[in-house]
Amino acid sequence: MSETWTLGLKLLIITAVAGFILGFTNYLTEQPIIEQRIQADMEARLAVLPSAEEFEEMQIEDIADEKAEIIELYTGTDAANKIVGYTFKVLTKGFGGDMEVIVGISSDGQVDGIRIGNHSETPGLGANASDEKFTEQFVGKSVDGPIEVRKTGSLNENEVQALTGATITSECVSDAVNLAIDYYNETLIGRGMDN
Amino acid sequence: MKLREVFTNGIFKENPVFKLVIGMCPTIAVTTAAINGIGMGLATTFVLICSNLVISLLKDFIPEKIRIPSYIVIIATFVTMVGMIMEAYLPELYDNLGIFIPLIVVNCIILARAETFASKNPPIPSMVDGLGIGLGFTLSLTILGSIREILGSGTWFNMQVMSDSYEPALIMILPAGAFITLGILTGLINRFTTKVD
Repeated sequence: MSETWTLGLKLLIITAVAGFILGFTNYLTEQPIIEQRIQADMEARLAVLPSAEEFEEMQIEDIADEKAEIIELYTGTDAANKIVGYTFKVLTKGFGGDMEVIVGISSDGQVDGIRIGNHSETPGLGANASDEKFTEQFVGKSVDGPIEVRKTGSLNENEVQALTGATITSECVSDAVNLAIDYYNETLIGRGMDN
Repeated sequence: MKLREVFTNGIFKENPVFKLVIGMCPTIAVTTAAINGIGMGLATTFVLICSNLVISLLKDFIPEKIRIPSYIVIIATFVTMVGMIMEAYLPELYDNLGIFIPLIVVNCIILARAETFASKNPPIPSMVDGLGIGLGFTLSLTILGSIREILGSGTWFNMQVMSDSYEPALIMILPAGAFITLGILTGLINRFTTKVD
């Protein structure tokens, strides 16, 4: 009996010390981690809507389709306090799990930039979606129609080249961008409601 | 054993990937590119040195019967701490290595070294063993990652090394490519290091 007690007690000491150390580390790092994430979000918004100087969070009206969901929406204003565009954080189902796409749409009706946030796509394949080579294809696309993904052949104006070996990931990204485009057209500028 | 022998033992004689054939899960998963191999390897090395040190210091305190749960608690604590501290103070590094950190907990190399070395040796040799094994792991992952990246993406450390006409062999960055490369490399290494009577 006494050996069992000794073993239990020693295990308790080890786990208690480990728990205390982890709690203390968490206490120290919690605030810096939150600040890092806020900073990273801010940088992502600036990257997809470079003409804006200030961002203000907006209420999202209920819009979700089966493929994606808008989780954050910001209005971007320039130095003269004029609205220059909007940034969306869209959550979509990638190939490997949830995937965040940050989309910037400028007030003149074109996609200003996209960024891939947290994701769990396959390294070397779907994870290449974060590469500039892929994301910059979306820059300058008009919001007049949905963006399509094409695997081979020459591209039309509203088409982007799919990532090699990662067609599903490519389509998830374009679904996310298209949801942002829909929201922009239907809710933000009230277009497309009358047809 | 002299410290130098302990150190080189982990790189050559007991190379975790090619000789001991442990830690296969992260080996297959992360070696799609050379830089991933280095990242995973160095993060593992750091945890290995720390956990070997602590386990060696506590070897007289931890009873034989509960050593495995004790080791796992110690290793998981280190890995979680490394992850939190890195995310808070070294965000750039965390962006690149963050996805590997949780994988280290389930890396059996760390448990294996705790069991076979750190629990029987003094602190300094245990740290040297962690460093040697860790660098051996890093070296192996980098070699695997380089071969797979060059053949599978046509790049090396993200630099284009193959001409544009080279059609990348996709299979090399899929798991099957990892098994093929690992098998061929292990065979070649055994061919040249095993003495035939």
